Amino acid sequence: MPQILEFAHVEKSFGKVQALRDVSFVVDEGEFLFITGPTGAGKTTILKLLLREFSPSSGQIVFDKTKVHEIRKKEVPALRQKIGTVFQDFQLLSDRTLMENAETALSIKKVPKKDWRTRIDTVLDLVGLSDRRNLFPSQLSGGEIQRASMARALVVNPKLIFADEPTGNLDWETTDKIMNVLEKVNKEGKTVIVTTHNRKVVDKMGKRVIELDHGHIKK
Amino acid sequence: MHFSVSLENMRRSPFQAAAAISTLALAFFVVTLISLVMFVSHQVVTEFEKRPQVIAFLTQDASVQSIDALRMKLEGDPRTTNVRFVTKEEALEIYRSATADNPLLGELVSPSVFPASIEFSLVELSFAQEVVDEISAEPIIDSVGFTANVGSESELGSVIVRLKNIVSAVRIGGVIIAGVLALNSFLVLTVVISLRVTTKRKEIGALSLIGATPGFVRAPILFEALNYAFLGVFIGWFLGAVAVLYSAPAIVGFFGDVTVLPKSISDFLILLFVILGIELLAGLLIAFIGSSLAVSRALRQRTR
Repeated sequence: MPQILEFAHVEKSFGKVQALRDVSFVVDEGEFLFITGPTGAGKTTILKLLLREFSPSSGQIVFDKTKVHEIRKKEVPALRQKIGTVFQDFQLLSDRTLMENAETALSIKKVPKKDWRTRIDTVLDLVGLSDRRNLFPSQLSGGEIQRASMARALVVNPKLIFADEPTGNLDWETTDKIMNVLEKVNKEGKTVIVTTHNRKVVDKMGKRVIELDHGHIKK
Repeated sequence: MHFSVSLENMRRSPFQAAAAISTLALAFFVVTLISLVMFVSHQVVTEFEKRPQVIAFLTQDASVQSIDALRMKLEGDPRTTNVRFVTKEEALEIYRSATADNPLLGELVSPSVFPASIEFSLVELSFAQEVVDEISAEPIIDSVGFTANVGSESELGSVIVRLKNIVSAVRIGGVIIAGVLALNSFLVLTVVISLRVTTKRKEIGALSLIGATPGFVRAPILFEALNYAFLGVFIGWFLGAVAVLYSAPAIVGFFGDVTVLPKSISDFLILLFVILGIELLAGLLIAFIGSSLAVSRALRQRTR
């Protein structure tokens, strides 16, 4: 399979704090990858570098043939539109309903309006929130918010799904539901990267794992 | 989508919206009134310029040929217009109509008391002094009067200066007041939009993370500012127009036979709509600049 993402000797420092040290890995198209490690290991830093929230101190990041570390500021939105991100803190628009959140993502990606309904129906059905479409994030439970965030990421049909701690503080049953959705999406051909500190989830899924510790890869 | 989001933002913060709209409405209400005051003052000056301003009184022994020669000379002069010869009899009639409320005054005088005259208008008031000087030098001219003043020609210069001073004071004053109000509107709008951006900072961050371009982030905020401007300008203009229409009979009555406002209702409405058009342009420009400034500042702070 052709590779979709490559981190090559990536380092990231914040002053004297070194968040990532010589991190190198590749992800193939259609792969399901776990990035694990304790809090502060550098998992979220990888996501932020990929989304170009900041640049690496050194090293190269290539996503879908785009040299992320070299792109200009005005090219960042196009890069982010190719990645469906499920954020640790959800980043849902609090004053818009679940459906409006999905519509906003579709509008950003300039998806024709005639396709909105079908796409939204499909992803809401997939994450099991069809009956919650007109509710605001504040009216949803923790697990539902996580699935809503996932719906927004999936609705734009991205090349890569990056879920940052999607199971956070959720109970086992909800965690299972979320992982099932991600596995289903992966089986349909999407590349999925999940960061988690939950060893049980990783063990249960049996996928490739990169383990981070103090900013470098253990194995 | 951006427009509906902007309307939703306004609905959710009614006091901010009311502050912005009322400030703009007040500013453009005053601007509408100032515009009409400037229009009226312009009309008064134009009317003044059209009227027979100069009356050259002829000597008693002026011959018909010399009067005709002077009249033709004035008619050929590009600085003068509406040249008219007034006979002694016509002068008496003018006197009688002016003293109609006291007929005895008219009965006591004969045409020989009044000198014949040549009346004419000036194309521009600034030509007045030189034309009066030239015509005063003519041998058949006894004296020259100017209808704007009630005294003799020696006061002509001061009349012109006074008139021009009044008009320019109206214009300068109007522009200053309009400028101060526009600046005030700009500041209020910028503050309101900055508040909106501050309350939306988290949302702006989220939009940016899922790939929204700066234009996409700006659009609803820009629409909101344009909505404020449109509503503020329209309300201000409407109130101003109603006030002017209400007071139009009093204004027309005050200026008497000077046409200060358009006589037909269609011309009057055209004038009001021209003012509305200019105000809308100004208001939307203020909104565009103010909101762009506020959003750019917020986005700069976010990316620091």
